[in-house]
Amino acid sequence: MGGAALALSSMSPIVAARRLGFFASALPHSALLAVSLGYVLSRVLGLDPFACSLLLSLPISYTFTFLLHRGVDAEIATSVFVAFTSSSSVAAMYLVLTRFPAEASLWSYILGDPLLVSWSEALTILLLAALLTAAAVLVYEVEVMIGLDADFARVSGVRVELRDYLLTTMLTLASVGMLRVVGFVVQHVAILLPAAIGTRVARNARQLMLVSVTLSFLAGILSVALASVVDMPPSAVYGLLLMAAYVLSLLR
Amino acid sequence: MHVHRDIVLEGRNLVFAYGADEVILKGDSFEFRGPGLVTVLGPNGSGKTTFFKVLLGLLKPQEGRVLVNGVDVTGDPVKAGRFMSYVPQLSSLRRDIPVTPLEVVEAALRSRGLHGRARREAAVKLLEEVGVSEVMSRTLGELSGGQLQRVLIARALARDTDILLLDEPLSGVDPRGREGLLELVREIAQRKLIVMTTHDPVQALKRSDYFVVFNRGIVAQGSPYDIYKLDILRKAYGTVLEIEKCLHVL
Repeated sequence: MGGAALALSSMSPIVAARRLGFFASALPHSALLAVSLGYVLSRVLGLDPFACSLLLSLPISYTFTFLLHRGVDAEIATSVFVAFTSSSSVAAMYLVLTRFPAEASLWSYILGDPLLVSWSEALTILLLAALLTAAAVLVYEVEVMIGLDADFARVSGVRVELRDYLLTTMLTLASVGMLRVVGFVVQHVAILLPAAIGTRVARNARQLMLVSVTLSFLAGILSVALASVVDMPPSAVYGLLLMAAYVLSLLR
Repeated sequence: MHVHRDIVLEGRNLVFAYGADEVILKGDSFEFRGPGLVTVLGPNGSGKTTFFKVLLGLLKPQEGRVLVNGVDVTGDPVKAGRFMSYVPQLSSLRRDIPVTPLEVVEAALRSRGLHGRARREAAVKLLEEVGVSEVMSRTLGELSGGQLQRVLIARALARDTDILLLDEPLSGVDPRGREGLLELVREIAQRKLIVMTTHDPVQALKRSDYFVVFNRGIVAQGSPYDIYKLDILRKAYGTVLEIEKCLHVL
């Protein structure tokens, strides 16, 4: 849970700087579709379901970035993207539940449960989380530069359109990779709320990243410990802890 | 040490339009020579920002070419960016995320391959040069219009290009701040070619070396005395109110 919180929260300041909140909110829908389709594909081809989900998720997300680059308004592109991914994910989930009823546990993807993850899955998720967090820290400064003023970044030699695809890749991998742990319902909270809190308390961009990541990581660890005490899923406790932190930041 | 040399920014038969109805450049040609200050004067909504975007390669003209010292940079922001840097209008800049002037300038210095302490020292020096080092740790949202303009000028200077394009640098700045900013711009124009837009003829009049009157295309260009003639400005502005102010200053 800590690893997932780390990966998603390290994306959070970038999402805030690039104003990609709409995309981040839509991502869990495409992640659920990728996981469902990935499961079907893995059963048919005998491949690893996690790898299949990751691979399938990328082209789905790229269509969204492609729409934006074609000049489609961000809100309209989001609506089209959500319409397609949510309808398709319902169809794909139905397929999974009717064809492989005893083998698939889609509830764990919808509610999220780190305690149901196997050790090998946990290791893969941790590795992916570490890679994504490192990548987020590396690209952060340039992403903030683009977020402030994309045209200045362009004339400074930054390939903004390529960066858009890189960022889409990172966000998609984080979303699909962490879905099992954080869950479909709470995932966008994990991407959006850390930076919302950080923006209220940080005095510079570096602090924004530090506050987002630290708070989210602590909430992630604490949520696992508190979940059994309050008899709630860890993802729910995690979301509520972040919400409490946001309310506290408003009192500043 | 910066070596003074001639800088030439040229436009040849530029045509740019957003669709059929909104024509911004109509086969316009010009040659701006530096070091010096060129002012592009035109009313709000006359297409000055679009003109800059064409110069910077951010928009590709339907016809014509943009050249810097003979090198074709048309429609290529990376190539144009090797010669030009720019300061956008304040209204286009995000101020809702906590970023400091120091971070803004440091990020711009990346393109020069500077890192670590050297980069920080260079950023502080630039902020000192434009007179805002005392606010370098505040967030952009806490700065006044004048301070923010100076930070953006420092960011543009960080790229060490021969040409700076300043889009309405005096807007959103109080009268006292404007004087100081114009001083700074004039000082930089001694070693670089600065092209600055403004919608206020009085501001433009005082310190420029060359003028362009712009209203959906170049209406006129030349020295200040050539340009500040009633009929030319009336053509651009459609009113004599501002023009009378200019003549009074002259």
